[in-house]
Amino acid sequence: MSLTWRLLKAAFTSLWAFRSYALLMMIGLIIGIASLTVIHQIGQGTRQRVLSMMESMGFGSDAFFVSGGGGRLGVRRGMKRTMTITPADAEAVSRLDGVAQVVPHKNVTRTQVSAGARHTNTRVRGATPEWAAARRWGVARGRFLNVQDERRRARVVVLGTTVARELFAGMDPLGRRIRIGRTPFNVVGVLESKGSSGWRDRDDMVLIPLATAMTRMSRDDKLSGMRTNLEDPGRREEIKQEVTELLRRHHKLGPGVPDDFLIITPEELTQLITSQSRALVAMLSFISVVSLFVSGVVIMNIMLVAVSERSYEIGVRRAVGARRRDIMYQVLIESLAVSAAGGVCGLALGLLLSGLATLLLDVPTAFSPTGFIWALSFSCLVGLLFGLAPARKAASLDPVEALR
Amino acid sequence: MIQLHNITKTYHRGKLPTPVLLGIDLKMEAGEFLSIMGPSGSGKSTLLHILGLLDRPSGGSYRLDGSEVSSISDDDLARLRNAKLGFVFQAFHLLPRANALANVLLPFTYAGQFPPDAQERARQALSRVGLEHRLHHRPGEMSGGECQRVALARALVNDPEVILADEPTGNLDQRSSLEVMSLLQGLNAEGRTILLVTHDNAVGCMARRVLRLVYGRVCSDEKVANPTQALQQLATLPPPGVQG
Ligand SMILES: Nc1ncnc2c1ncn2[C@@H]1O[C@H](COP(=O)(O)OP(=O)(O)O)[C@@H](O)[C@H]1O
Ligand SMILES: [Mg+2]
Repeated sequence: MSLTWRLLKAAFTSLWAFRSYALLMMIGLIIGIASLTVIHQIGQGTRQRVLSMMESMGFGSDAFFVSGGGGRLGVRRGMKRTMTITPADAEAVSRLDGVAQVVPHKNVTRTQVSAGARHTNTRVRGATPEWAAARRWGVARGRFLNVQDERRRARVVVLGTTVARELFAGMDPLGRRIRIGRTPFNVVGVLESKGSSGWRDRDDMVLIPLATAMTRMSRDDKLSGMRTNLEDPGRREEIKQEVTELLRRHHKLGPGVPDDFLIITPEELTQLITSQSRALVAMLSFISVVSLFVSGVVIMNIMLVAVSERSYEIGVRRAVGARRRDIMYQVLIESLAVSAAGGVCGLALGLLLSGLATLLLDVPTAFSPTGFIWALSFSCLVGLLFGLAPARKAASLDPVEALR
Repeated sequence: MIQLHNITKTYHRGKLPTPVLLGIDLKMEAGEFLSIMGPSGSGKSTLLHILGLLDRPSGGSYRLDGSEVSSISDDDLARLRNAKLGFVFQAFHLLPRANALANVLLPFTYAGQFPPDAQERARQALSRVGLEHRLHHRPGEMSGGECQRVALARALVNDPEVILADEPTGNLDQRSSLEVMSLLQGLNAEGRTILLVTHDNAVGCMARRVLRLVYGRVCSDEKVANPTQALQQLATLPPPGVQG
């Protein structure tokens, strides 16, 4: 049995003996650590939601996404539907230095698709053969759209699994004929299932050749957007600037006229998601700072009183051979024990509250291992910091005085 | 074993310094049983605290086992207290939330190395003071006499050379006092050095040597020709439970 272990056991025993005081000492800590935990859970949830949105939009740090219509991400008043990017723009961007590849696509408005008597509403997207590789999204059955489809503006379609299930209910859709709107298409493949991205079902979609979408399914010749892959992620800001200038020139936008397109980077997505919980996080930060400080002061004062009330105990320990630093160590371990216990309770409460925040406020939260570590180390830090004064007071007691 | 030469102690509390010990000389061999007596305020406790390394003298020299201890570090004092000394106080000073066994184990906590047979030695110490049936009782569940015997077990569990007791019978009835004194006499008969502070003549005469202090000076230092035997006194008392 090591000294530390014996002291810890003694500390928890006296904690239990003084449990009403201990609870008083822990309350602020529990609130503070719970808030800290919720903050971390929100941070982690936000990161995960951004990642899944990026995944579902198909880009990471080595790419950005150019979308038609101006405005800002998340607040695109009225401009959302104005498609402005042309195939010629895509062509020009792809020739810029540092751009590895441009993968354009065109969304056709949500349309009814049908097979025989069965029908469903789904997103119809025109895509090029490169789309599958760029999105790392292969087919589960059949084949993907190819160059001949594109050249011939073929009426072929690759189904998302949700649509395949809705229309064919377990039967093999390959080679079958469906209608998109009134136009007949041949099913050549079924995509792999990607599941939900948290905000929409990614398998609820069908893909047709981009050329088919541009000519047969739509009146305009504009693209919805283009994924722009970079050779070097480090030059992203620079290339973003060049693309902006190029598109403004192509679209003949004079000085002062706002962009009629939008370049979306991972950072902007993160900001968008973060803005949903910014107020909550600010409030929680305030609560946690205040309550951690208050709890520290409460712990310090209760421990100071306890030291004077138990001075003869300290005297006895000194008499049987405790050094000053043994006494200091003991008091510190006691305040650490209180604060660690409070930290664990706060952590539990925080997990509960962040579950509620997701449920009631739709704030994204997710379990955060770093938050776990932060909660525990922060509560221990409070115990250590505010236990210092009582510990020093206890250690500085003169044994003869203490025994009087 | 113990050599004091011109030990002085002056407290500096308030404006005027309070001289308490005015030059004490004392020489003791191992195995002696000394009682320090004198009127209240004569400096008995102060002297015992200095002898017990709980306090430092203001001047003079204190040699314990041949080495000067009046100027060694706090940590060294703590180590010596742990290894060589055992204390008994008037107010018992047991930890209220710990049972008898845990109280007796306390010195081992600070012994550097927790001995593997600590539990066994604590039980032995408790049975030495006749409390083998009270191992798991807390101080609040025991009589004053039993508490003081637990304190005595705590003082001797580390096998110290010297046991120091400051008015150990001050809070006890006659029977319990005699029980504690007979235990101290027994320990002395085994060769342990005992230092006892008391203002009670009957108790003081159970030691083999009596040092009398008056106003911080030694006024007499005499061998007791025929120390009272506490065990015999105990036999003359009416049996417990009979009201006297
Ligand atoms: N810490 C102190 N500060 C000032 N005076 C003290 C202190 N401790 C003891 N004294 C004084 O020293 C004198 C001797 O005290 P003490 O040794 O406890 O006497 P005794 O034990 O013989 O009754 C007393 O007059 C007491 O008031
Ligand atoms: Mg006294």
